[in-house]
Amino acid sequence: MLRLLYALLLGLLGAGIVHIAILFMLPAHSERDIWSRLSAAAPPYAMVRLGPNRLGGEIPAPVNPFLTAAACRFDLADGPVHVEAEGAVPFWSMSIYDSNGLNVFSISDRTAADGALDVVALDPGQMQRIRGELPAEFAQSVFIETGVEEGIVLVRAFVPDETWQGVVGRFFSGLSCTPRPVG
Amino acid sequence: MLKTVFLTLVTLAVAIGGGAASAWMILENVPPVGAVAAGPWTAFPDAGTPEADPYSRARFTREGGIPLGRSEGLVFTASRDSAERALRRACTYRIEGTIPAARLWTLHAADPSGMPLAPKGRRQAALHSGMILHREGVPFAITISPHPAPDNWLAVTGSGPMQLVFTLLDTPVSTGVSLGELAMPDILQVRCDA
Repeated sequence: MLRLLYALLLGLLGAGIVHIAILFMLPAHSERDIWSRLSAAAPPYAMVRLGPNRLGGEIPAPVNPFLTAAACRFDLADGPVHVEAEGAVPFWSMSIYDSNGLNVFSISDRTAADGALDVVALDPGQMQRIRGELPAEFAQSVFIETGVEEGIVLVRAFVPDETWQGVVGRFFSGLSCTPRPVG
Repeated sequence: MLKTVFLTLVTLAVAIGGGAASAWMILENVPPVGAVAAGPWTAFPDAGTPEADPYSRARFTREGGIPLGRSEGLVFTASRDSAERALRRACTYRIEGTIPAARLWTLHAADPSGMPLAPKGRRQAALHSGMILHREGVPFAITISPHPAPDNWLAVTGSGPMQLVFTLLDTPVSTGVSLGELAMPDILQVRCDA
């Protein structure tokens, strides 16, 4: 009897450990986060428009009817990632998600010169090297230093009404996501 | 011998079964922590960020989604009016009061799962700050109703429960410290269709 009680107590202790293990392993093993779903749908550096009708609803889309979004995957091992767009939209914002799908950094067009989208995401080592001599193509860029090696850049734009669809569509079709190897 | 095997099995069953069941129960049934309430509205500023607690983080990655970052904006939802009654699509509501500082805001009606309601003709169940009519000397108000209303009308379609989603874009609120004493507008029930 005493041994059964001992077994149950040990089981409860084990249950606590399993509970905590599940909790911390879940984010890394989830298959529903944006990283897993985008990896399944598109190669790295491909800008994918997120919308209810695209890719069979495989990728989460903004639920706000006035926001549209596009995203690309990057790996800073290939060099800093340069995200650029032409044209002006009433409002844009950009987030960086890590490979667990968590939002680690965000900026809005308030931060950018003239409201133009021209952002470079890089790791601290690349920042050090670029500080030495600024490449000409980064002259106007906003630099984002991030600890995330692999991640997602997601750009959102505000569509006030249907008549803006053309302008926002051009903004997104001109949106590029390119690795720029340095030195 | 057989007794030892039995006891080992009991221990393992309690550990794995109990651990998995308790984790699942908490993620499914316990409401998330870290909420910021302002009147009838609730926001989760840390949802989907590395700052969130382990439970919120696990819940979030199970559901997927692309949360707004702190510099992008903040999303408030309400599923009850200011008198704590559940919001229904058959009812008419008025939104009155002050709106926190933001460059832009949007307000839309959604079903309980978060999908925006179907548009009424070409009219979406959504408004943004640029569409709002302000009258001199009259306080700002929005009417949320299945029936047409003058001034600022948010058209609701279908039947059953709904929630209202208020998104502040580029707002100092989400980055500032004053999240606790935030003033959000009230949701007042006007009448309900029988």
